Amino acid sequence: MRLPDGRLVRSRVVTDPRTALVDALDRETTGYAVLEPQGSLLLDADGQGIVTFERGVPVVAYHTGTERGGPPALADLAAEGPYRLELFAVDAGALDRVHARDSLCVPPGMAAERLVGDSTLAERTREASSAPAGTVESNAGRSRGVRDESDDAVTTVDHAESDPGDETDDRQVGAVEAFLDDEEKVAAIRAEAREEAEARAEEWGF
Amino acid sequence: MVEAFAIASGKGGTGKTTSTLALGMALAAEYDVTVVDADMGMANLLFHADLEAVETTLHDVLVEGGAPVEAAVYERHGLSVVPCGTSLADFSAADPTRLRDVVATLAADTDVILLDSAATLSSRAAVLPVVLADRVVVVLEPTIPSLSDGLKVQEYATSYDTDTAGILFNKVRDDDAISRIAPKAERYFDGPTLATVPASGDVRAARRAGRPLLAHAPTSGAAAAYREAARALEVRDGDSGTVADRFRSAVVPESP
Repeated sequence: MRLPDGRLVRSRVVTDPRTALVDALDRETTGYAVLEPQGSLLLDADGQGIVTFERGVPVVAYHTGTERGGPPALADLAAEGPYRLELFAVDAGALDRVHARDSLCVPPGMAAERLVGDSTLAERTREASSAPAGTVESNAGRSRGVRDESDDAVTTVDHAESDPGDETDDRQVGAVEAFLDDEEKVAAIRAEAREEAEARAEEWGF
Repeated sequence: MVEAFAIASGKGGTGKTTSTLALGMALAAEYDVTVVDADMGMANLLFHADLEAVETTLHDVLVEGGAPVEAAVYERHGLSVVPCGTSLADFSAADPTRLRDVVATLAADTDVILLDSAATLSSRAAVLPVVLADRVVVVLEPTIPSLSDGLKVQEYATSYDTDTAGILFNKVRDDDAISRIAPKAERYFDGPTLATVPASGDVRAARRAGRPLLAHAPTSGAAAAYREAARALEVRDGDSGTVADRFRSAVVPESP
């Protein structure tokens, strides 16, 4: 897979690539992320993971080590972190040839689910994949047939065709309120974090 | 006078760096503000603040026998900004525990220090800004994972005698919902809701332009929310010398 030269917009060492996925989505970046597991810098070259984006939505995944593309490439990447991550932006249309290779494509929300386990981000990404440029928040109908098909094939998320965003938002708001009403659960989270912080304070000498 | 705030969230992608710069620019209307990219593994601030091309960064200051901190301070958008570099080699060579001396040095010459913190609690280096700060601003999205992580951040802060200045809800898409969620969340946080920042095309446009929100879209609703948050912060009047001494004496082991 040959990628066009891009403009570096982010370079970092990350334990998981959530920030990069959010960043690409927020900026509606058309370009690609190169994820290089840190282990491969120190040991032997295990290859790099490539995820391309069209207006912030992941389109193609490829792993240079296993030479696998599509969902299997995400599986190859999911096990390896931390990464050095570089995000490049390219001109609109520069990735069209790469994006035409269906065998390399992944469903819009799959990187968020497989690489960072974030269903909310996955949902936002799916919404963005169906929205016109500049209106990521909208819930307009979906547009890319090829990605729709693969989305349905490999994820179990029930994605209603009409106005999915509102329903999802309502459900999420209800769940957030229920979470905050559950005082015992919140107390348990806090107690666990406090214990962890105190144990680490000792370990780290804070 | 000086007060140091850590801008923190347990999870990445909450808009922490955007929030740090926006709060900094809003506070700069009244105070002398220094923003430090204390998220050392993840150079980020420089991409938000027209600093991609600078030569000396915090990483260069944090290596043994490295550059003086003054060399890594850049005046941008009415702020003093200390960015991290992007080179992995520089990151590996940098000793994050030297951050306390950097903050102590900066404290002598500014009113407010904002530490853009790492989106994790998994290492000494990541937690250090929360330890060093006087107070923490917890950036949240109105989602369960984000609230849960924000609560953890607060517990860590409390364990290290760092108070909570308040919570900042970011990327808010539903005004009605946040008016129900924020009061419920406030019951668990030791500070007030400083502001709720709407999810906004202006924020994304600013990111695409590589400029801080308050420079790119100063009249936007999101910018107004950050100004409101800055007003709600009520910066405390700490003695510079005392604060600097405290930073220097923060007990930090040799290496992460």
